[in-house]
Amino acid sequence: MWRPCKPTLVLLPLVAVALVALASPGPVLAHAAEVHLETVRAVAVVARYDTGAPMAGAQITVYSPANPAEPWLRAQADAEGRLVFVPDAHVGRWSVQARHAGHGAVAHLMREEEDGTLAAGWQTAPASGPDPLQKGLMAASVIWGCIGTALYFRRRNT
Amino acid sequence: MTLPRSLSRLAWTSVLLALPAATLADTGTLTLFADGEELATEGFVAPKLTRDGWELRFDRILITLDQVTAHQTEPPYDADSGAAIDAQVSVPLVTEPVTVDLVNVDDSGRVTVATATAPAGFYNALSYDLRPGADGATMVLSGTARREGTEVAFTLSTDTALRHRCGEFVGDERKGFLTAGGETSLDITLHLDHLFGRADQPADDEMNQEALGFDRFSAGGTQRFSLDGLHVGHVGEGHCHVEAL
Repeated sequence: MWRPCKPTLVLLPLVAVALVALASPGPVLAHAAEVHLETVRAVAVVARYDTGAPMAGAQITVYSPANPAEPWLRAQADAEGRLVFVPDAHVGRWSVQARHAGHGAVAHLMREEEDGTLAAGWQTAPASGPDPLQKGLMAASVIWGCIGTALYFRRRNT
Repeated sequence: MTLPRSLSRLAWTSVLLALPAATLADTGTLTLFADGEELATEGFVAPKLTRDGWELRFDRILITLDQVTAHQTEPPYDADSGAAIDAQVSVPLVTEPVTVDLVNVDDSGRVTVATATAPAGFYNALSYDLRPGADGATMVLSGTARREGTEVAFTLSTDTALRHRCGEFVGDERKGFLTAGGETSLDITLHLDHLFGRADQPADDEMNQEALGFDRFSAGGTQRFSLDGLHVGHVGEGHCHVEAL
């Protein structure tokens, strides 16, 4: 097995604090302002080569489960190969691609629940396809449906 | 309960007729391309000389592909794992050795390797072999090298056989999404800079450290080399797990 100079991607679910400044909707007061603090779930992308060197300035492309064929976000990593983004509410697999100097890598994470629970890694995704039991039940249903059809015509002929 | 033979035949015929109809309705066209990027079609020209400063221009770059299969995997295949690809859908695209020339390409800079009707879905993994073809060579590169007034014609060949297991294509666009009645493509990309290195990249870059360079071939003529330890085969910019056959 050869593993020369491969880029690697690490996705880290984060809880970040967002600052939201809102103009007061109440009585007009000179210079009145409000600041709200909200916690949001963010994802930290760490793009580096397997030598440990950062993919400085790597092009980061994020794909949402809502439309995995088109970029949801294009951005540039910093000098350390890092980028933080806040995914929206779509549940499913989020994919992140990092490219730099002709090398690229893809990593995935699942947004598993609508409350924003995130899990990074390869194996967190529930299989979208039917499992063997489901496949067996589907096949049995098709066969039983055909047998039922045959019995129906047999009954009509007798 | 025993069904009369005629009714039993009717039941099974229904199954056999229903399945192909459903399959045809959910298929599209999957095309496999191969390319060697601009380094194949335009050569190693300044500032992208070989790591040891040679300009290379190629007359032909023949590669032989075999056992190329597109896969739909859930979860996505991780090429770093080196594990076998556990696919829900696998579509054979090349089942016997096919030799293509990466210099003689279409307007998109690629050469068409195969086209197949395939079930709709996301083809997010690809496996392929580079192995000797009928002429006994996995790869043949011929052309002209120049450096500081020296010019040599060369033909380089290797018979190293390698199996590649790759995840999804990495490039300007995300490829592999096939809809019913639609079409999509997958690419096998050979990175020639992993073979000759690049003068415009740092000398201590791992790719340059491992590349053969061209000095060893500077006598010109017909010479052989090995792909052992090199990582030339990719899917776009995405890496593959590589093992010797």
